[in-house]
Amino acid sequence: MTPATPQRLLDPHFVSKLARLDLRARLVVEGFLTGLHKSPYHGFSVEFAEHRQYMPGDPLRHLDWKVLAKSDRKYLKQYEEETNLRATLLIDTSASMAYSSHGISKLDYARQLAASLAYLMLRQKDAVGLFAFASGRGELIPPRSTPSHLRQLLVLLERLQAAGGTDFASSLHALAERVKQRGLVIILSDLLDDPERIAGAIHHFRHRKHEVLVFHVLDPQEVSFHFEREATYIDLESGERVTTRPQELRGDYRTQVRAWMDRLREFCIEKQADYVSVTTDLPYDRALLEYLSKRARLL
Amino acid sequence: MSSFSFLNPGFLWALPLAAIPVLIHFLSKRKLPEVRFPTVMFLRALEPREIRRLRLRELLLLILRTLAVIFLVCAFARPSVEPKGATTRAAACVAVLIDDSESMGALDEQARPRIEGAKARALAVVDAARPGDEIAVTTTTAPDAPLTGRAGDRVRLERIVRQATPAWVPGRMEQTLERVRRFLAKSPLRSRELYMLSDFQARELTPAAREKLTAISRLGARVYYAPLVTSRVPNHAIEDLDPELRPGPQGKGLEMRTRLVNHADSPSDRIAVRARRGDALIGGGDVTLQAEEARWTSLPIEWRNGSAETSSPVIVESDVDALPADDRWYTVLGAPRRLRILRVFESRGAPPSKFTALALDPLQDGSSGYAVESGTPASLLSLSRSRSDVVLLEDIASLSGDAESRIRAFLREGGGLVVALGPHADPDYYGRHFFPGIVDLAIEGLERPAEGQAFEVRARTPAHPILEGLSVNVGSPLTQARLTGIVRGRTTSPRAEAVVSTTGGLPVVVAGAQVAVFLGSLSDDWGDLPYSGAFVPLVRGLVDYAARAPSSSLGDRSYVGRPPAARLDTAPAGAVLVRGPESYRSQAQVVSDGAGFRAVADAPATVPGFYVFEAGGRDAATVAVNVDPVESDLRPIDLDSLRARSADPTKPFITLASLRTHLRETRQGRELWLFFLTTAAVILAAELLVGSARILA
Repeated sequence: MTPATPQRLLDPHFVSKLARLDLRARLVVEGFLTGLHKSPYHGFSVEFAEHRQYMPGDPLRHLDWKVLAKSDRKYLKQYEEETNLRATLLIDTSASMAYSSHGISKLDYARQLAASLAYLMLRQKDAVGLFAFASGRGELIPPRSTPSHLRQLLVLLERLQAAGGTDFASSLHALAERVKQRGLVIILSDLLDDPERIAGAIHHFRHRKHEVLVFHVLDPQEVSFHFEREATYIDLESGERVTTRPQELRGDYRTQVRAWMDRLREFCIEKQADYVSVTTDLPYDRALLEYLSKRARLL
Repeated sequence: MSSFSFLNPGFLWALPLAAIPVLIHFLSKRKLPEVRFPTVMFLRALEPREIRRLRLRELLLLILRTLAVIFLVCAFARPSVEPKGATTRAAACVAVLIDDSESMGALDEQARPRIEGAKARALAVVDAARPGDEIAVTTTTAPDAPLTGRAGDRVRLERIVRQATPAWVPGRMEQTLERVRRFLAKSPLRSRELYMLSDFQARELTPAAREKLTAISRLGARVYYAPLVTSRVPNHAIEDLDPELRPGPQGKGLEMRTRLVNHADSPSDRIAVRARRGDALIGGGDVTLQAEEARWTSLPIEWRNGSAETSSPVIVESDVDALPADDRWYTVLGAPRRLRILRVFESRGAPPSKFTALALDPLQDGSSGYAVESGTPASLLSLSRSRSDVVLLEDIASLSGDAESRIRAFLREGGGLVVALGPHADPDYYGRHFFPGIVDLAIEGLERPAEGQAFEVRARTPAHPILEGLSVNVGSPLTQARLTGIVRGRTTSPRAEAVVSTTGGLPVVVAGAQVAVFLGSLSDDWGDLPYSGAFVPLVRGLVDYAARAPSSSLGDRSYVGRPPAARLDTAPAGAVLVRGPESYRSQAQVVSDGAGFRAVADAPATVPGFYVFEAGGRDAATVAVNVDPVESDLRPIDLDSLRARSADPTKPFITLASLRTHLRETRQGRELWLFFLTTAAVILAAELLVGSARILA
């Protein structure tokens, strides 16, 4: 696997495309910073954006008196408003995330997606944290909004290794207890665990008033099972062995996977979490833009 | 009992190839690649459900592949089975009967003469002969030709077959089958076969011929039929021609009478008939015939009188159709002359009835073509063929023994007789004395209808020459005539034919050889017939028929296959030679025949055409020889009726390919390679289907 670098993780072309969209938080977040959308609070980190000619009825408090004094013209000052968000990225580092059928593993894909989201949020002065978890272990960087925080996040992302089983529910339950302030929880995982337990963990976050966004990362082969030759298939986590002809089971396999994904989606809807299924052959920008567009429509 | 064998058993060494699928199966199982995969849990969930089906399918595929290889190898080894009743092991005595009769010159469905199909089939049989077989080839027109023996003489057999051509003569099926029966009976071989290659004309397979076939079957021989045609082909023919020209309508011009027949189930197209003398067209006309109709047709002829043209060879041709041989007729037309009739009646104190004389010669100048001479029974004593063609006895009570003898001699000389009975005729005399030996007609007395009633008449044989000029439909003058009395008669043999009868079935007009009898009256004593429009054509028809009816001697038509014969008026000076077409040469024997002489060639005529009798270095007579039109009806017999007579009926071979298949199977056994190859293909297709079923699903 090619080692990931911060530069590669933050592809400028990719980031510039994201910069044209705003990530619009759906929840009203308690915090120090003020969001402008539906929030009852007004934040104070307001940046000047441009002038606009005064029209009768506009509030006088935004009138630029200095311009009026110099040129005897009435202009209003306009400001760029930002949402104050506290987001935590949860990356699954279990052994199954190492699977790759066409060069990029699920962990690589999740790593780059997480870095992109972190950059986007920090650019908007949002606080971003990171929690990498696998069975029996986890590493947490608490959310911060300082620009230097990005470097810390990227370093951790870079050294993540896929290993061990997924004890998805336990890890998330533990994290839910540790994150006190409400915010956005973004999960990047292949969700290879009992859907009921996953639903329980999501419910835990929702119970703590967090907004949950699930990126279900899968390899295309996991969805299509497009193997040709008869072979022995060994599970990456449990080591189970199954010898079969792919063409014999392909249809039923796809049906099962589709049902499993539908079930996860239904659980997420039920818990008022957002569920986005991506495969590692999808471009990052496309996945993010689709998601953000969908969020924009929902708001 | 059938036996199974392989014609190429060497290929069976390849049977171990059937183990290849098994080896491949186990080799592919020995080492499988390992794939590390995250979602094996879904496969594990599916496996128990699928595993049994997969193993069954794998087993089925293995069996199918193995079977495919086995069948493929067996196909190359040419498996063969000897069918029941076949003679692949034992030598056989085989007779091949080629129908080379006149009808085999007709065209088959491929527009080739039928004989070509017969020859191809005969060659196939000869080619399939094995060493030790006895094989004979015979033709239906030459059943007396020597038969050939062993199959080793194949070259000669093939030459005989290739030389077969349609003959100008009818086939002699009965004699040929008898010859075949003797050949098969004489053979010591137990297996005997007869191949009949013919168009199976219904008229050729007479009851006697069928009896011969039954006799052949009784020998244990299998009779195979190879019909050259399967359905009837329409065909018209010229059946006969009256060499004597007649005056045309109203005595103007001349007419030639030709008998045409349409052998078809539907009306013919318009048939063009043309007569030519040398290259000059001298007459003809167009004719349309109904289905199965045979009719005498009068065609206008242009004839210039002259000493050199008193008799002349003329060829009459019609449009050529299925059988060209019967579409041409050779004739030697005599100079037109009137028909000489001696009308005999009794003077009973009253003037004789004029009806007959007016019907035949109304102007009494012979312009109608009839020269009528009247006389009493006494005039019969000087009756001569040189003076009269027909004698008409009209209401004669009885004749003297001398007169009767003279009439019988007259008939033997080729003369004709018309007897019209009437109220004065003695039924007992005619029935007991006169008619025996002349016409097979028994007389039973007078017959009168009920008071105030009359007999109605109808045509019993509508196509009879006597009725040629008559309309016989319902409502025609003939059917509207009323007879108040007839002499009750009854035909006693098929040689006498009731032509006209009452609606109650009593004969009114009876025809025999050279003799026509009218059982009513030609005067108005018994009804109104003389006043009807049917009277004139009926009287003329009676006279014409009696004059034209074939006699047993010189009046015979000359046909191919019989020696040409000619009448000579004077005794020839020296030997008589006969010249004919295609270098025909023969001497002729001369015998005295009544008033003249009769010359008969020693050799039969071989082809139709004109045959010239030379005596003393000059032409003495010319006769026309024609093809016997007896084979013109191309209707084939129902083969099932023939096969039903056989104890072990065989399937007819409609095509040459089916015959060849039969020969191959009976000589070499029935090859099954195609079956094995097809089965292998089907198994492979099934293997593909089973193998891909799941993928497609």
